[in-house]
Amino acid sequence: MSELSDYAFVATVAALSTAILLYLVYVLGAGSLRAFSLADGGSLATESANGPYTTAGRYGTILAVNAFAFLTASLVFRTIASGHGPFANMYEFSLAFAWGALALYLYFELRYRLRILGLLVLPIALGLLVYATTVPSDITPLVPALQNDLLLTVHVAVAIIAYGAFALAFGAAILYLVQRRDSIRWLPRSTVLDEMGYKAVTVGFPMMALVIILGALWADIAWGTYWSWDPKETASLVTLLIYGGYLHARVLRGWRGQRSAMLLILGFAATLFTYYGNLFFGGLHSYG
Amino acid sequence: METQGVRAVDGAEALASPPSAGRARPSGRLWELDVLGHVWRFFTSVRLALVLILILAAAVLAGTLLDQAPPSVFADPASYDQWLERARTKYGFWTDIFNFLQLFNIFHTLWFKLIIGLLTTNIIICSLNRWKGIKTTVFGARVRMSETFFQHARYNASLAAAMPMTTAAERVRRALARSHYRVRTETDGASVAIYADRNRFSRFGTFLSHLSIVLILAGTVVGGVLGFKDPEFIVAEGATREVGMGTALSVKLEHFADEYWLEGPPKDFRSELVIYENGQEVKRGTIRVNSPMSYKGVRFHQAFFGQTAVMKVTDASSAVIFDEAVPLAWQTREGSRPVGSFDLSGENRTVYVIGPTSGENDPLIPAGEMRVEVYRGDTGSLVAAENVSQGTPKAIGDLNVNFVRETRFTGLKVVKDPGVNIIWVASALMVLGLVMLFYFPHRRMWALCKALPDGKAEVRLGMTAQRDVSLTEEFKRLRERVGLALGIRPDGGGTAGGGDDV
Repeated sequence: MSELSDYAFVATVAALSTAILLYLVYVLGAGSLRAFSLADGGSLATESANGPYTTAGRYGTILAVNAFAFLTASLVFRTIASGHGPFANMYEFSLAFAWGALALYLYFELRYRLRILGLLVLPIALGLLVYATTVPSDITPLVPALQNDLLLTVHVAVAIIAYGAFALAFGAAILYLVQRRDSIRWLPRSTVLDEMGYKAVTVGFPMMALVIILGALWADIAWGTYWSWDPKETASLVTLLIYGGYLHARVLRGWRGQRSAMLLILGFAATLFTYYGNLFFGGLHSYG
Repeated sequence: METQGVRAVDGAEALASPPSAGRARPSGRLWELDVLGHVWRFFTSVRLALVLILILAAAVLAGTLLDQAPPSVFADPASYDQWLERARTKYGFWTDIFNFLQLFNIFHTLWFKLIIGLLTTNIIICSLNRWKGIKTTVFGARVRMSETFFQHARYNASLAAAMPMTTAAERVRRALARSHYRVRTETDGASVAIYADRNRFSRFGTFLSHLSIVLILAGTVVGGVLGFKDPEFIVAEGATREVGMGTALSVKLEHFADEYWLEGPPKDFRSELVIYENGQEVKRGTIRVNSPMSYKGVRFHQAFFGQTAVMKVTDASSAVIFDEAVPLAWQTREGSRPVGSFDLSGENRTVYVIGPTSGENDPLIPAGEMRVEVYRGDTGSLVAAENVSQGTPKAIGDLNVNFVRETRFTGLKVVKDPGVNIIWVASALMVLGLVMLFYFPHRRMWALCKALPDGKAEVRLGMTAQRDVSLTEEFKRLRERVGLALGIRPDGGGTAGGGDDV
């Protein structure tokens, strides 16, 4: 089972790398042909008529879906092999984070047909997988603090959805900054990107709050305190505060565009810090 | 075109929503006092909330990046000075500045609590301030909108229906209802006004999620005032210890066990405990890291463990003055050896028992021996020190000391926190509020069906722009549905306004 998981992992990396290449062909090729026109702006979709580049994009999506399926398989095999959710060390966390980013991206592509975001989110997922190859991938047994199947699964599963959503918002924010004067014809309009970032945050924010609450619940059971200012707890609170600031600024003060995009980038930096911070600061979360 | 759109948005907003949120001036006698009015307005500002949130984020971030002195260290000036000296090797020149700003103890400083207090006040006052407006939006929304509203609404459409006004209105009503909208109508002789919305209670999610923060803070206060926490409650195997803290409980450790996986990491830590109340056994069981035991609101958590040395001490007249397991729960500063101590107050002596460094050969204390150091209880000066082999009594000063055997102790965290239930309820409300707010957002659509002279009808649709989110797709979907219900193909018929947000 453990080997199957490794094979599926390799297949994921292969599919994902090819998907990124096809997305690149799609975006650059379509850009050179100026296949997208601003007249499409009425809808969120930027797809235009058929063409070789659109075909490349379509195959890119298919491969991304495949990569997602392989990654799911890899995580499932690993769960079977280890007997617990694939959340016990940095290798497994990284795979799960990549899974979350892919899942959220594919959901958004399906729903809003914004393939261009993939060009940013898929490399983030690939980066996480490449990072995973640099840490020990041995199946590690659960230390006593982690021996709570329900909370381990739910706490981390919710976390990867939140992280995935924030990765997506980050991608939208970067594209927004590139496109803020609407000067690049083949990119979606800046307002659409701004909107996409906001939608991703509205998916991720309640999840992030839930992660922290489930973490507090677990800490209360295992350690007898729901909050102890442990570095990971604290970093996750910073993340929540930044996105909370973003939501208030945008909804109540009408922040748009560059300022809110900067907050999204800051938020994702905090997300990564939450994710990897325990490697540098130890604390109660130092398992992996 | 675009700039006109912007103006239209503002116009439509002003028409659509009752003057409320944020800009409303507080009214009522109490607020006529201008000082209070100013304070009130100060706290209703969203800008204040933003500033506070960002300061709080920065403070919390600083608390993550900088080493924080443990509360026990901070409480004792001498050990805090020592702690600072160690911190100096890491932060150098900055140490004094950080210390001056109290950055080594951020989460317990007055200014941190002040920010939280300000933010809480801000949350409460903003919520009160928005209450009326949101209540009106949810329960008292206007059904009939003026012509100008439909002309200027961010998203608007005009559809021609080849049917009488009342039929058209009924079809629009049904189409909107099928899209899961709640529909209200108002009829006068010449027209039917329709207001449709969905997820209107979503608006209350704001209050749930914000007030839950206040409730969580209240929970921490309740826990702090009515609860207690002993993070280092040590019981040796076979020993019974009183919990204290106003309870009549005591705890006996029957047995402690630790197990390891073949790969090395720990697998299980468990303590078999017996709980006594007023000396009567009331509960017994095994606790593990993820399964604590609770009795009358007092919880016992497995926190740590270690070795003890059972020591037997007799005085000059051979009377036994001490015979107990001494938990070696601390570490010596040099050599990191496990150390424990006990007082012989009758003899004016304090005795330290030091074990060998674990896992390697200790040059000073061979395995199977304990180093015993006897100090005067009043002055703290060393009387005598000797290594004692297991089972071989040795005279140290005027005492005869025997190291009988090794056992284990368990380190429990004993907690009573009546505030914790408030926190879980508040947390559930917070998630519920956020899910309502973001996953089921409130959507509103107005329609006006007017009879035309030729017996046909004109249907106008209008949706206002929301500041935070574009409703382009939602409006498109509804317009198509309504159009189909009126017998208009999706591609033709009607003029449509609207588009992307600007």
